[in-house]
Order: sequence, then structure tokens, then C-alpha cells
Amino acid sequence: MSDEKKVFCHTDKHGRPEHNHLCHDGVGCGEGCGEKNPVAPTGKDPGSKPGGCVGCSPEHSHGHPHSCGSAAHHAHALTCGEGGEIPDRVEYNIVRFAYLLKGEGMRIGSSEVIDALNALQVIPLGEREKVKAALKATMVKKSADRETFDRVFDHFFTGPEIKEEFRQQRREKIELFQQKMEEAEGVFTFRGEQLELSEKEKTVYSCMPEKEKKRLQDFLQMNESRDTLHPEYRPFLESLVKGRLNFWYSQLHREVSEEADQQDMGDEDLNAIRDAAGGEGKGGRSILTEDMRHIARKDLPQATALIRRMTRLLVTRISRRYRISKNRRVLDLRSTIRHSIQYGGAPFKLKYRSRRVKKPRLLLICDVSGSMIRYTAFVLQFIYGLNAAVQHIESFTFSEDLERVTSHFQEGGDFDRIMSSLVKESSQWGGGTSLHRALRTLGDRHAEDLTSNTIVIIVSDTRTVRHQDAQKEMGKLKEQVKEVVWLNTLPQEMWNQYSTVQAFKKVTSMFPCNTLADLEQVMSKKFLSA
Amino acid sequence: MTLDDLQCRLEEVGYICDEEVVLTVFLALQLEKPILIEGPPGVGKTEMGKVLSQVFDTELIRLQCYEGLDENKSLYEWNYQKQLLKIQIERGEQGSSQLEEDLFSHQYLLERPLLKAIQAQRKVVLLIDEVDKSDDEFEAFLFEVLSDFQVSVPELGTIKARHIPIVVLTSNSERELSDGLKRRCVYLYLDFPEVQREIEIIKAKVPQAGERLTAEIARAVHHLRQNQEVRKKPSIAETLDWARVLVSLNRDRLQGSTVERTLNILLKSRADQRVFHEQIGSEELVKNSRAGGQK
Repeated sequence: MSDEKKVFCHTDKHGRPEHNHLCHDGVGCGEGCGEKNPVAPTGKDPGSKPGGCVGCSPEHSHGHPHSCGSAAHHAHALTCGEGGEIPDRVEYNIVRFAYLLKGEGMRIGSSEVIDALNALQVIPLGEREKVKAALKATMVKKSADRETFDRVFDHFFTGPEIKEEFRQQRREKIELFQQKMEEAEGVFTFRGEQLELSEKEKTVYSCMPEKEKKRLQDFLQMNESRDTLHPEYRPFLESLVKGRLNFWYSQLHREVSEEADQQDMGDEDLNAIRDAAGGEGKGGRSILTEDMRHIARKDLPQATALIRRMTRLLVTRISRRYRISKNRRVLDLRSTIRHSIQYGGAPFKLKYRSRRVKKPRLLLICDVSGSMIRYTAFVLQFIYGLNAAVQHIESFTFSEDLERVTSHFQEGGDFDRIMSSLVKESSQWGGGTSLHRALRTLGDRHAEDLTSNTIVIIVSDTRTVRHQDAQKEMGKLKEQVKEVVWLNTLPQEMWNQYSTVQAFKKVTSMFPCNTLADLEQVMSKKFLSA
Repeated sequence: MTLDDLQCRLEEVGYICDEEVVLTVFLALQLEKPILIEGPPGVGKTEMGKVLSQVFDTELIRLQCYEGLDENKSLYEWNYQKQLLKIQIERGEQGSSQLEEDLFSHQYLLERPLLKAIQAQRKVVLLIDEVDKSDDEFEAFLFEVLSDFQVSVPELGTIKARHIPIVVLTSNSERELSDGLKRRCVYLYLDFPEVQREIEIIKAKVPQAGERLTAEIARAVHHLRQNQEVRKKPSIAETLDWARVLVSLNRDRLQGSTVERTLNILLKSRADQRVFHEQIGSEELVKNSRAGGQK
């Protein structure tokens, strides 16, 4: 039937598709019509699997040819389904596709979907690459999202067999998860009764290394076999077990959150595709969302470049603001008219007014104790970038006591050189953490830097000795300066578990700073640009 | 115009790009939506606007954005001097209401690019360059104009576009543009071309360069761009300049000493040149530009 180069959508006089079931590469539906579209993509593109249809979803992979009766476009439009047309098949699939993209964190509204549908009406639906480009042009609005789009597209518009595979994988995944849960339930018993543990805690157990599992099992087994234990021992045992699991949660935070990520999209098909698309993404997992501690050595240049880009954005914003306030001239009407009186009402001299923005002074205090070392490398990159652009940043590092490092940055030069001189000359690097002493030193020796216009930025994981004292010191500091901002390198989900976080949260504005994405978020915060 | 037509026409005027780019532009034309082009500097974003005006053989109206750009400079302004003169001339002669009506007529209106594009007698190309440099307020105003293609001048009423212009917005992503503006546009991300594409571009623009030199130039530039430390990656225009220089030096292949002497055409900051000498080196660059060819 169709030996023409392109397969057009047959539209009615309103320009809407008359037949909504549009075969995409001629194979998915072509099985029904017994022919293959000659322009089906060749195996060049790994995503072009047989049966990928825009209008064709796997459950309707059969169809029968339908003569469109128009000589103008020799259309390969098919109506499909048992007992008549499935209306709005294209619309249906695009909406589902958009929903998936949204699930991946892209910002897609109804106007993007409408644009995408309009776009599909003016391009040949028979060519996969064109459909992809059209959807990309209308739905992706950020260069960073392009990769996500490609990944989701390749998984969504694919053949029924492959989709069935995704479904199978998902079923297996769920089964495995349930198995793990049951296994955990089997372990955590006391006198034949279940211990009360949340699903998260059970997930933590399933992620633990085998050796540790065994130790926990032995411990529980031992209790089980001791008949002398009073039933009231149970809550005690429970809290013991929970404590242990919490410790492992802090170690295995990433694995657990991946495992527990069973968010339901309300459609089993979409769930399956999302799992498959996400699963592949993890190989090239974005370093943006990676805990900075875990960023591998080989990714360091990429991470560095990213931070540099982020600081550049921030810096242009900061300096822009000041420039605007200096140069932008807004006509001051009242004053102009008042001055015009002496010239008989003609506005001879124009009077301007300008906004006055006071530059904040930034004061950075960076935790360089043992637990923080991996983060520090990134945070210092950030500080280095800021220093290059904004004058008057006072930088300090602390572990057991405070140390001023501003001079290292002021000399300028290469980042590596600064870092090595910092580490070499510092007595604080990698020590224990004593924030209260550091803060006291700051108050005693650098009081002139603490003005009502100073913003203090502290980068730390809050874990310090004598945190009550530190909290008091922090309270004092807060009264002296404009704002105290705390960038916390602990993942936000874990904040509840630390009393130190709670304590400092009361006296500072705390933001998570665990991943590069967090850092990016922080940079869009007002305090840095205002 | 069909997709293939557009592709041919773009090639005719010497704009060589990927199919995806052509399709995105085609869509924007069909849907009558603005195209928002983002990408690193020097990949031909602004060129797109110019090329489209050539393709459609129509006028190019350009609005260069900068901080502090406002409606007065982008849309319209009353010609105050002319109005004042008129007042002086007409003093005491006519009824004042008539005069007022006269003063706020098209005669005294200074058209700025946006109004000009909307009032044009035929479809024009409106190039709004470096929109990320403008202020937030202007951006908000801009997407009002771009969604309805009409503006209101209080004294004259609403002016509707006679023909919806072809709008090209470019941005260097110095800051994130608002969602509202993005929603109204078809998005295109232009990246540096692949080696093969760049060879085609050089062939089209500097045909004097021999086959071998062309390929080596493209690969060398590609290699330079791969280096993360190089801050300002060589643009396509700089590649072409380099090709022209090498041709004028009568070279038919790259050589370490030539690269050394002509480096300042590609890398224009000291920091980048230092990175080049420390991490790449001209011999290494030449080697790379050839190694690719042997594969």
C-alpha cells in the first residue's frame, strides 16, 4: 500500500486527525496489515525498536488497514481495536507520556501538551526521529532536561514485546521486594511475635551486608532461646534493633531510598516504564543528585565544572543587582515637577531616583573536621568561585578551633594551589569538631566583622561536641549579625534523627547541602542575591 | 512550505545544521510560535534569525536586549521634541482639543523594534537577541506581546499584528528564563556541531581549504572543545576564521608550529592559552586531528 516516503496523518477540514490511531513505523500495526513501511528506521538508533507507535499502545498491536480515501495524502492511517475506533489514541498516549516526564521532575503543563499535539499534526508521524524531535521541541524547555526526555522517550515509544519485558521486570521487582519484607518479618520476632518495625526499617535490613544481617539474626536468635527473659524486655529489644537499623540507614541512605522508591503512578504500565527508564538512568546517574561524599574520583572534573557554572550564574546575578541599583535611573516625577516651576512649568531638568541596595558582607565558616572532609572539597570550590567575584568575603575554617583563611583566597591563583596551601598550613584540617569554641573565638577576635549587615554562612554537618554550649554561642552571634545561614551536609531526611540538627535549626536558617542539586537550590535563595 | 523545502532553503543560504534543528524551526513556523534558542556562545544562535530572514526574503528586525531595556526603547515612544515644536507653532491658533488629538497620532509615534515588527506590511523576522540579559520586568512584558501579538498604546488603543512575525529569541542561559516565556516558545538547544557537520560547514564557507586541511581543522577544534578546562570554547565563526587564516598561509595540513602561531584566533584569553599549553600542546593537538582520520 504505502510505498511513499512519508506517512501523513490524515486530517479533516479542521486540521484535526481523523484517525487517531496512527501507526508509527509501520511494524507495530503492520503485523496486522501484513506490510512494512519502507521508511521504518534502520537499526541506527538503539531506541528504535519495532512496534513503537505514537498512537499505538502495545495492547492494541493488531489492526486492520483502512483506506483513507484521499488521493492527496496516501495515508497509512489505521483504525484499531475491537469493535470500533479508540478515540483520541494519540492524545491519550501523549498525555501519559507527559505524565511520565513530570514524574521524572520535568515541568510540563497543559500548554506543553497542547503544543506537542499541535506539532504532531504538522509532521509526518511515520518517522520516529521526527516525532521525537517535535515532542522534544515542544516539551523540553531546559537543556538539562534533554537527556531525561531521550531516556523516557526511548522507553515509552517502544514495541509491545519490550513493554511486556518492562512489566515483567516490575513484577519481579515487586515480588523480590515483598520477599525481602517477608524475610525481614521472619527475622524480627520475639517469642514468636513480630517486632513493630516500619517498612523503611525493614528495607534497611534488606540492604545491609550479609555479614551484618547474620550478626543481627544471631543476636535475635540468642534472645529467642533465652526463656528467662521477661515479656517487658520486648520494647527494650525493639529500640535496640531500631537503633542498629538507624545506624545502617545513615550508612546506606542512598541504597535504601532507591529500594523504597515504589511511588505509584496509578497505572501499572507507566510504573513499569518508569522503573525501566529509571533503572537505566542509574548507570549514568546524575552527579547532581548524588551525595557529594559519594561522587567518584573520575566524576570530580565534571562536578567541579558544574560548581563553576553554578557560581558563575550566581555571581552574574549578584553583580547584576548592584549594577542595576547604581545605574538604573528611574524618573522621579515629583521632584522633576517641583524643579520645573522655576522654568515656567517646562520640565527642563529631569530628576532621577535610584534604588539603593546595601551589599551584604558574607562571612563563611566551613567545617573541616574529619567527618566533613569530602564535602569540604566541594564547598571550598564554591567559596573560591564566589571569592573571585565578590569582594569582602571573610572565610574561616574550623574543627577544634577557628582559623581565618581569607588571605589564601585573596592572593588569587589556581584552585589546586590554594587548596594545597590551605591544607598544608592549616592546623584544623581533619580534627574533631568543637563549634562552641570556634564561635567564641570568632566573637572574641573577629568582632569587627560582625555587623548588622553581615550574613554568616556555616557549612557543617552539625555534629559537634557540647552542642548546647554551641547553640548558646550561636544565639549570641545571631543577635550581632543580619542572618545566620546553615548549609547542612546531612541529607534532609535524616535531620530528625539528630538532636544537634534540631538544636541549631532553632537559631539559624538551615538548608540542606548534601548534593550538588541542593547547592544549586541554595544559590537561588534570596539571601545570596539580595 | 514543507520540511524538505525548508531544509533545502537553509542549505542554499549556507546554514548547515542537523535535521532536528530544521524540524524544530519548521514546527515553530507552522505553529506560529516564537523559537527560543539556547546554547553556548558561538554556535550560530543569532545567525538563525538572520538566515530565516534570508530564507523568507523578508526584513530582519533586531532587538538587542540589555539590562535596563524598557518599553520605551523596545516598543514605542512619543516624539517629545516634535510634539513640543507643534505646541509652540500652534500656540493660540486652534482649539486645544483638536491639537491634543493631533499630538497623539501616528505622526508623533516613534516605532521601536517590537511595534515595527507588529505593524509591518508583511511577515518579518523579529530577532530578540540575548533575552537573558534583560530584566525580569521586561521579560514579563515581552511574553505578553509574544502571546497575543498585540500591544496597547493608551492614546491610540490596541494595535494588532497585521502578520504574525517569525520570532527568534536567543539566550546564553546567563540566567534561567521565566516559565511563562518558555511556555510560549518552541525550545531549541543548539550545541557545537559534530566533526562531520563542522567539516560540511567549513566546506560551505571556506571552500578554498583543501579536503585534508578541512578535516584536520574540524577535528582539532573538536578536540579543543572537549577539554573541560577551556572556558571559552572556540565558536564556529572562530573555526572559520582559523580556516581562512590557514588558507591564506598556504597550508594544506596542520602543523605544530602553525598551530602555535595562529592559536590566538581560537583561544582569546590568557587563561585558556595557558590551559592549552599545560594540558594539550600544539603537537598533541595536531596528532589528535590526524589520529581521528586514520580510524
